[in-house]
Amino acid sequence: MRGWGRIFGSVIVLLFIFFGSISIAQDIKIGVAGPMAFIQGQHHWFGAEYAVEEINARGGVLVGGKRLPIKLIKIDTNEILNVPDAASAVERAITRDKVDFLVGGFRTEAVFAMQDVAMDYKKIFMGCGAAHPELCARVAKDYNKYKYWFRVTPINSMFLAKVDFILLGMVGKIMGMELGIPKPKVAIFAEKAVWADPIVAAAKENIPKMGMEIAGEWRPSATATDVTAELSAINASGAHIIFTTISGPMGIPYAKKWGELKIPAASVGINVEAQKKGFWEATGGLGNYDTTMNTYARVEITSVTIPFYDKFTAKAGEFPTYNAGTNDAIRILVNAIEKAGTLDADKLVPELERTDFYGAAGRIVFTKDHDVTWGPNFVTATGTQWQDGKLMCVWPVNWEGITYKGAVKYKIPPWVVEKWKKK
Amino acid sequence: MPVLFSFRKIRLFLSKEIFILPSRIIAFFFCLGLLVLPLLIKDPYLLRIIILSSIFAIFAASWDLLSGYTGQMNFGHALFFGVAAYTSAILNLRLGLPPWITIPIGALAAVVAGLIIGIPCLRLRGPYLALATLAFPIILMGIVFTIPGITGGELGVSGIKPLARSRILAYYVCVILMMGLGLVMWKIGDSKTGIIFHAIREDEVAVRASGINTTRYKLLAFSLSGFFAGISGGLYTHFIRIAGPSTLEVSLSFQAIIWAIFGGVVTIYGPITGVFLLYPLMEFLRIIPEIRTLLFALIVIVILLFMPEGLTTWIRDRMEEECPRCKVRNVAWRKACRVCFADLGKRSSEGGEHGV
Amino acid sequence: MIENILINGLIHGGVYALLAIGFSLIFGVARIVNIAHTAFYMIAAYFIYTFSTRMGLHPLLAILLSVVIVTLIGMGVYQLSIKPIQEHEITVLIITIAVAMVFQETVLLIYGGHFRGNPGLLTGFLEIFGVRVSYQHLLTLIVVLFVLLITWWILLRTRLGIAIRATAQDREVANLMGMNVHRIAMITMAIAVMMAAIGGVLIAPLSVVEPYMWLHPLVMVLAIVVLGGLGSIKGSLIGAFILGFTETLVVFLLPLGAFLKGAFSLMIMIVVLLLRPEGLFGVAFEEER
Repeated sequence: MRGWGRIFGSVIVLLFIFFGSISIAQDIKIGVAGPMAFIQGQHHWFGAEYAVEEINARGGVLVGGKRLPIKLIKIDTNEILNVPDAASAVERAITRDKVDFLVGGFRTEAVFAMQDVAMDYKKIFMGCGAAHPELCARVAKDYNKYKYWFRVTPINSMFLAKVDFILLGMVGKIMGMELGIPKPKVAIFAEKAVWADPIVAAAKENIPKMGMEIAGEWRPSATATDVTAELSAINASGAHIIFTTISGPMGIPYAKKWGELKIPAASVGINVEAQKKGFWEATGGLGNYDTTMNTYARVEITSVTIPFYDKFTAKAGEFPTYNAGTNDAIRILVNAIEKAGTLDADKLVPELERTDFYGAAGRIVFTKDHDVTWGPNFVTATGTQWQDGKLMCVWPVNWEGITYKGAVKYKIPPWVVEKWKKK
Repeated sequence: MPVLFSFRKIRLFLSKEIFILPSRIIAFFFCLGLLVLPLLIKDPYLLRIIILSSIFAIFAASWDLLSGYTGQMNFGHALFFGVAAYTSAILNLRLGLPPWITIPIGALAAVVAGLIIGIPCLRLRGPYLALATLAFPIILMGIVFTIPGITGGELGVSGIKPLARSRILAYYVCVILMMGLGLVMWKIGDSKTGIIFHAIREDEVAVRASGINTTRYKLLAFSLSGFFAGISGGLYTHFIRIAGPSTLEVSLSFQAIIWAIFGGVVTIYGPITGVFLLYPLMEFLRIIPEIRTLLFALIVIVILLFMPEGLTTWIRDRMEEECPRCKVRNVAWRKACRVCFADLGKRSSEGGEHGV
Repeated sequence: MIENILINGLIHGGVYALLAIGFSLIFGVARIVNIAHTAFYMIAAYFIYTFSTRMGLHPLLAILLSVVIVTLIGMGVYQLSIKPIQEHEITVLIITIAVAMVFQETVLLIYGGHFRGNPGLLTGFLEIFGVRVSYQHLLTLIVVLFVLLITWWILLRTRLGIAIRATAQDREVANLMGMNVHRIAMITMAIAVMMAAIGGVLIAPLSVVEPYMWLHPLVMVLAIVVLGGLGSIKGSLIGAFILGFTETLVVFLLPLGAFLKGAFSLMIMIVVLLLRPEGLFGVAFEEER
């Protein structure tokens, strides 16, 4: 057991060395927290790097007459697998790496824990991944404690649902016009998760109001990997549209089997996997025509969107997903720092609250709960459809007077047309 | 312990009971070290790691109490942890009860869970029991997702009161509880009940044949283990301030088994050592985040290939041996037993028989 | 509806059977609870992804290579990390968990946490009684039946099979009769891993290829072998189809509770165990001390 003591001793000694080796900061340290082994964390990281490279190239951040470069600290939270790990990682970054600011976060359960740690240390945390309204509701409930939290992306899940229905309505309308289906039947296909529940509840209420009919409701587990049975059941139900709410890996086999079995119903809604570039390869092209809501698209949302989109894609080999919003988050932070002329969190909060910033995702303005504002001329989110190997923007097209330059018209899958076309 | 703090009595206790065996000396200094540590280092991150290690040490030790001692392999130990975590979290959030009430109630809920799965599982043996217990946390996870109004689904229950006002206070709560409960579990293992637990593992038929109601003892083991695991679950919830489905995951159950086996089962201190080595190791490996889990697994494999009975058992058997007559432990280099003076001289090769 | 349930249930059950029988074999012969069993299935899926999607080899060649390599890895794992400590059953268990973690982390390191997919050998579908069944599913079902038949034949009709069954029944007596128990365990391990690998290459095009894809099947396999009775091949086969059909039934009859299909299967397992503690076709362990 002597070895035990020795190991413990050397661990303590090593910790001391770490502790002692921290030099006096002449840069701004921003911690990027995310599951770095996974695509979400990688997008956090690439998004942040993209912003920081540009800012450092022009000399850094102007604080009180001095230009300070930004240093990014990678925080591997491992949050998808291990929640306490995430909170520990953030605390380690704050106390040991002395990060000044935090961006990132993905799995809601873990973001709650990380948010608490960051707030304990009064560190500004720009959320870039968890959509749950409660994260921002905490700001309203206990402003003094939680005021350091801001959500940059994605839009709050209530608005996610709203966009979702707008997309569904658009597809329903197009099907009605082109195929002459007066009252399309909609199959609700949503993974069993809390974030999907309000969407499903709203769907049951809204679909009849939108002049459509509900064909049935399927709730596979969020971690399911084979949904052939569900698809067969949907096929048997005679649905014209499948309204998807999927964030998990199931999005791939779903789209693959949907295309392979040529289930005669247009697929629209949220399918996070379909936002990724690898989707085409992963489904072997069978995911063609799948339509999903998205944060970015290669269209002119603002003047910076397309350059960002292209550079990110070249660098990461992937289309940016909402987690790449760390790019906007860091720019917003830097603007606030330069305006306030300080790194002091308490002085930065009011400056951040005044943010009005044209980012890659749109015009970002925070609500009084520090949530990103949704709406026409703010951040809108986009609708994207896979069209023969390309992820095209199909929404907003003529919505509230907005059409993003480069957007195209939604296409109904040919086998759906074939099945329902009036002969 | 002496009522009056006479220096002599303490010294006598130390020299007769502690400084007589290397393992006890190490345990003594380990505890002492943990108690004085925050006076020297106030680094919250280090304290956090030790707090989490203490919580998981209770958890791993409680697995040992059930599966190590009685041999009732529990693959679903996270059930106790999760039930207690959710119970304390919900009680705290809905009724506003303070942690020192919610944690014991959570632990009692875990006992009830232990009985609910213990009673039907009593008829199962060996691998059947192991695999059936694996199922319960997964079934409970299904229930958690069915009633998101209460459990928060995948988001978990958040907004819970912290364990203590300051980090140092939380540290002392967890560390002292870990030591206290560890001692209690170790004493249970050493008591008459503990001997029956041992016997059930070795030969249940023989135990039954000698007129002992093994069913009752197995249920007792399930409840005791559930209670201690429940306390760790409650502590965890209040420390991390969220109770989510990750407290019920298969990987947490497996983690407990890895810690316990790595440290050495049927010892209580083995699993505690296992956690206090492996959990900080995982944190230390953050310097190479990409391969930390891989290294962790490889270390576990290599150590277990060399020491298949676990680390502490292997080391203990090299430092101490058991007196063949009175079963008291002695330093390996002693010639006669420290209690009954039986000759130990040439029997050192049989020192490793214990706990096989 | 009924035809839907029938066909989907058969497909699910078939793949589960492939995995469960291998697991059951190695448990029966060597008393190893091999948690890494489905991890072999996972790495097989990655091998076929690498060979066919990344390197562009012919699918059949890719399948063959994947199965052979994974089988060799399986034998290596047995030789290096299980055999030396085989007497310590519980330690073996931890080692297999750690081996599974090693596989998972290695895959994560090389391929990242992306969800991958693999094109099937065949695309397109067939309508059977109005149910759309993809060719890949049909192929899977046929291969599964074929593999099961071969295994059946090896176990019942060959000398090797007799040796395997003898060892499973009583290791010591088999040893006394002059059988090399370790070699038989090694061969069994190879057969079991090979079945898992075949499962992996078949599933890769039907499902998602990702580093954690071994966890759900692991739980199902454990439930199946317990349900059917540990070490009983017949039990595993029947158990696999019972749970395959249960999952399908839940999806069709209770669409709102589709996420509960795993929980339902496990409940069936527990109910069976309550009625028959040794599973449907298991041997009572009462005498085994």
